[in-house]
Amino acid sequence: MRDGYCIAKHGLPIVALITDDFWEQGQFMAESIGMPDLPRLQLPHPVAGTGEDRIESIAYSIVDKILDRFSHE
Amino acid sequence: MNEVLKAENEESALELLHELQCTDGLPVVIPTRERVARMVLASGLDSELVLGELGPAGGVASVEKVATAAVMAGCLPDYMPVVIAAVKAAARPEFDLAELQATTHCTAPLIIVNGPARKTCGPISSSYGALGPGHRANASIGRALRLCMINIGGGRPGISDMALLGHPGKFTYCLSEAEEASPFPPLHTSLGFEASDSVVTLLGCEAPHSVLYADNADDPEDAEKLLYVLSVGLANIATNNAIFCSGVALVVLGPKHANVLSRSSYSREKIALKLWELTHFPTADHDYYGNEFGSRFDGDTYCAFEKPEDILVMVSGGVGLYSMVMPNWGGAGHQNRAVSVKIEENFFCEIPGLSKS
Repeated sequence: MRDGYCIAKHGLPIVALITDDFWEQGQFMAESIGMPDLPRLQLPHPVAGTGEDRIESIAYSIVDKILDRFSHE
Repeated sequence: MNEVLKAENEESALELLHELQCTDGLPVVIPTRERVARMVLASGLDSELVLGELGPAGGVASVEKVATAAVMAGCLPDYMPVVIAAVKAAARPEFDLAELQATTHCTAPLIIVNGPARKTCGPISSSYGALGPGHRANASIGRALRLCMINIGGGRPGISDMALLGHPGKFTYCLSEAEEASPFPPLHTSLGFEASDSVVTLLGCEAPHSVLYADNADDPEDAEKLLYVLSVGLANIATNNAIFCSGVALVVLGPKHANVLSRSSYSREKIALKLWELTHFPTADHDYYGNEFGSRFDGDTYCAFEKPEDILVMVSGGVGLYSMVMPNWGGAGHQNRAVSVKIEENFFCEIPGLSKS
């Protein structure tokens, strides 16, 4: 979230990718940094270390949503 | 002035504070207006004075809010200068508190106290069981900082504090250096302060790992064996330091082990240099075990620490066969640096009869 904030404050569009377990933390961070509506999308948890096939499958499942969010920013 | 909660009695007030997640899970002293006002008064500072901003919530750490945490933690007013210095250190940008609170790593801020404040603001133990139960100043000063991190910094488990397990030092983590028992100059003099200064050094680190070494004064390789054993605990392939190759780690030498090294003409700086050399590991191990963090070094070996100064060495604890090492996280923008802040005792307002009440 903080990375997203750092990019967003330069006026660039962002979509933060946050896994299930960190969703609540993402909301907390977004509110604390004063950008409660910072765009974000939810991924299953965990992603890291789950193997290339699974990560690829997650990427395919989310890519259209990411592009959709960017097209509405 | 902060919002004032109301309750029928202290028992109800405690339940309310637990319910609002304002505690660390243990009972606290209820921070009544009177108790907080007395703690603020003892600090000698204005209640609205801002000591810094604490992440990840970005809460403003005023003297009054910090005094509230100190009351809840069970501090005596005498301890306030140390608590205030610890909060100032935590708020410094190079401490990366927001990231330190939010990480999945178990890191917790360890408060190291040097100088006269060890006695005037305590006593803060540097002897037997300094990191264990039974020392009021150690227990409550560390706890006060944690309660600031919870109630001002907004660190709450599973929401903003994402430590997968944490460690018991997240309740309280504070000790002083055994300057009188140490054969070396005090730690803070190696960090640029005068010996007469009182200083808090704050380091986010793991739980202490015990290091056993049965020293033998007749063994000409006594010091080298001890240093090797310390290095194994300090940065093995299971630690962040050996994988991230960043951060600062701490060695707490027991007085007996400190004397083993001093006998062999080791200074603090020479100890750190030797430990830095001993924590050069095969690059093949980093590639193999580091997975996504691996494969970034050329050559046959790599360094777990960027430089010898990234290994802090202090003396504390009882006299025996044990020392301790605390590896750290090494993440965030400043790689989890140690931050030292002078303790301002000049502002402290002694009120006869107050500190022991």
